[in-house]
Amino acid sequence: MVSIKEITKKFSSVIALDNISLDIQRQEFFGLLGPNGAGKTTLMNLIVGYLNAERGTVTVGGDAVSQESLDIRKNIGFVPQSLALYDEMNAQENLEMFGKLFGVPDTVLKQRIADQLKAVELYERRNDKVKNFSGGMKRRLNIIASMLHDPKVLLCDEPTVGVDPQSRNAIFDFLTGLNKQGKTVIYTTHYMEEAERLCSRIAIIDHGKIIALGTTDELLEKLPYEETIMITRNDVTSKHEALLKEFGSLDDVDDHYELKPTGEFKLSKFFARMEEAGVKYQWIELHRPTLEALFLQLTGRRLRD
Amino acid sequence: MKTIIQLFKNSYRIFWNDKVGVALTFLVPLALMSIFGSIFGGSGAGPQGIRLAVLNQSSAAVAKDIENALDTSKAFQTIKSYTDEHGKQVAFDSVSIKEYVRAGSASAALILPSDAYSDTSLGLNLKFYFDPKNDIEIQTTKGLIKQIVFSQFPSIIAQSGFKQADRYLGTKSGEGFKRGIASTINKYFKVDTNAILHPDFSKKLSTGSDSTKKSFNFMDKIIRIEEQQLVGQDLKNPWATRSVGGWAMTFLLFTLTASSSSLFEDRKSGVMLRLLTSPVSRVHILWSKYLFNMSLGIIQLLFMFVAGWLLFDVDMFSNFVNLLLIIIAASMACTSFGMLLAAFSQTRQQAQGLGTFFILTMSAVGGAWFPTSFMPPTIQFFSKLTIVYWSMDGFLEVLWRGVGFSGILPNLGILIGVSVAVSIISVRRFRRGDIFS
Repeated sequence: MVSIKEITKKFSSVIALDNISLDIQRQEFFGLLGPNGAGKTTLMNLIVGYLNAERGTVTVGGDAVSQESLDIRKNIGFVPQSLALYDEMNAQENLEMFGKLFGVPDTVLKQRIADQLKAVELYERRNDKVKNFSGGMKRRLNIIASMLHDPKVLLCDEPTVGVDPQSRNAIFDFLTGLNKQGKTVIYTTHYMEEAERLCSRIAIIDHGKIIALGTTDELLEKLPYEETIMITRNDVTSKHEALLKEFGSLDDVDDHYELKPTGEFKLSKFFARMEEAGVKYQWIELHRPTLEALFLQLTGRRLRD
Repeated sequence: MKTIIQLFKNSYRIFWNDKVGVALTFLVPLALMSIFGSIFGGSGAGPQGIRLAVLNQSSAAVAKDIENALDTSKAFQTIKSYTDEHGKQVAFDSVSIKEYVRAGSASAALILPSDAYSDTSLGLNLKFYFDPKNDIEIQTTKGLIKQIVFSQFPSIIAQSGFKQADRYLGTKSGEGFKRGIASTINKYFKVDTNAILHPDFSKKLSTGSDSTKKSFNFMDKIIRIEEQQLVGQDLKNPWATRSVGGWAMTFLLFTLTASSSSLFEDRKSGVMLRLLTSPVSRVHILWSKYLFNMSLGIIQLLFMFVAGWLLFDVDMFSNFVNLLLIIIAASMACTSFGMLLAAFSQTRQQAQGLGTFFILTMSAVGGAWFPTSFMPPTIQFFSKLTIVYWSMDGFLEVLWRGVGFSGILPNLGILIGVSVAVSIISVRRFRRGDIFS
């Protein structure tokens, strides 16, 4: 559906994207995960044709995308990171204005606006000025303003920034619903929880390069360990730091230790040694590793550094 | 106290970091102070180069002296001929000189008629024709002409009178004759006898000091200037007709600069990004903004002229089509100006700051507030490079003089030409600039 071939984009002397290639399939919920400044937004801007690349091509549905190709944008919906709405206009007026730019016929547009407003629970507030909306309401309106022309591909550039958990869940449900209806969704975030929850496939991007690509399971397989072990820090466990380090790398995190096993790690052997040292079972928790751990493994930095 | 000092220092730090704000704080007052200073005598220059048509039909020496004095005065640019339809220079006659003023080629004309002065004359006769489209300029012109005439006439009349007395009555009797004349003038015109007999009499008359006020009254009676207004005599409210265009232009520039700067607001809010990720190009956005601003400008100007019509009887309908053409051209030019500012600025604040600077300067230099003839020649030159000058001139041509389409063609040509040129520069700059990125 979306094909990115050897894209390079520079801003003056800064290389924002360095020879990136990606293929995103129809109906995929594809995630671009990376820290701020990694190049996610630049890549989105290239896919939607807002920017032109120095090198490489982007195609959507087989058609090349560029700043000059306006018609192809009718197949793409773009939810910008910023709240791209007119504050002094009400919700209905905003949606009508943006919908008309895509040439949606009036009768169709009116029906779609009503449907979308109901879907994000803003129908009752449609005549209120946007400036009086909460952050979460603006975010929801920001998303449906990009959907009125019924695009095949929806690009969401960090659409949950500054949103409360309730609105965030509502946005997740809405986007998941769209994906199930057949839309291809490309979603950028620096929250690994969001990427893990929503995306069927994820590309981890850093310094303008894709450093890992695959499903969550495929990505986590790249880690040299299968689980992370959390051990409560107390008088007993703190005496056995040296013992814990025998099983892998040990990080001191807040009120606990985080052990990432290395080498020939056997869980049974680990528990036996802990029992011998007087460490109780209830002080030990096993966790599936996260994408955060993978990012740390690959770059030596945390996602939100 | 420490907290107050810290906050005080912070305020200066913030102020200093806003380079546009710093520049505006000092540059705008400096520019306006220089312009006002040069207008109101900071340089002591006074008005310069007022176009005055002059026709001397008299053979009297005093008439020649007055003509010479006008020619050498910095205040006036005297014109004695016009270009006919064949491109030939033709000396004025008493008809063509009036037509010259009616056409707006000069704001006033002075005729020294064949009977201006003779040896047997009791006084000097002059004819003054004027177009008070700029009332301040005409009042000043009248004052300056009187000053020049007074400076020439008394010395000549005194010298010739005294010479005649000396020749025919002898020196002793001549002195008695002079005192007799002075005493008679004192009796009937209340002019100080010493002032008349004093060698600096004529100089005092020309300087207009308090002590010579009575002398001026006397001179007014013996220098008769026949005045005739050639243009605008039928207008119901000349003041409003003259001033509405200037104020309209100043406010129009402010409106359109603010409106053009809204592009920055769209960029900041992200709306620009949404627009440019729709089937909308940069050219679409610029054209829509241009058309919006231009239509807003037309509506604002029409509103101001309708207000002038309703409140002050400004006659906007007898020459409405031509007025509308000038309104459209002025709106185009002001829109281009606003877009140019937006194109060369980095932020809305910068655009509005620069806008304030250029609008106030252009309005002052372009003659929206004072006659351009009051300004030094350099500023008068720059005046004609402003859209305010050509717009105001166009409004005056239409409302004041009631000229037809051919009369406003130069104004339309210049305003539209400037609009096109400036718009091309703006569009190129917009494409290279970062307002769309």
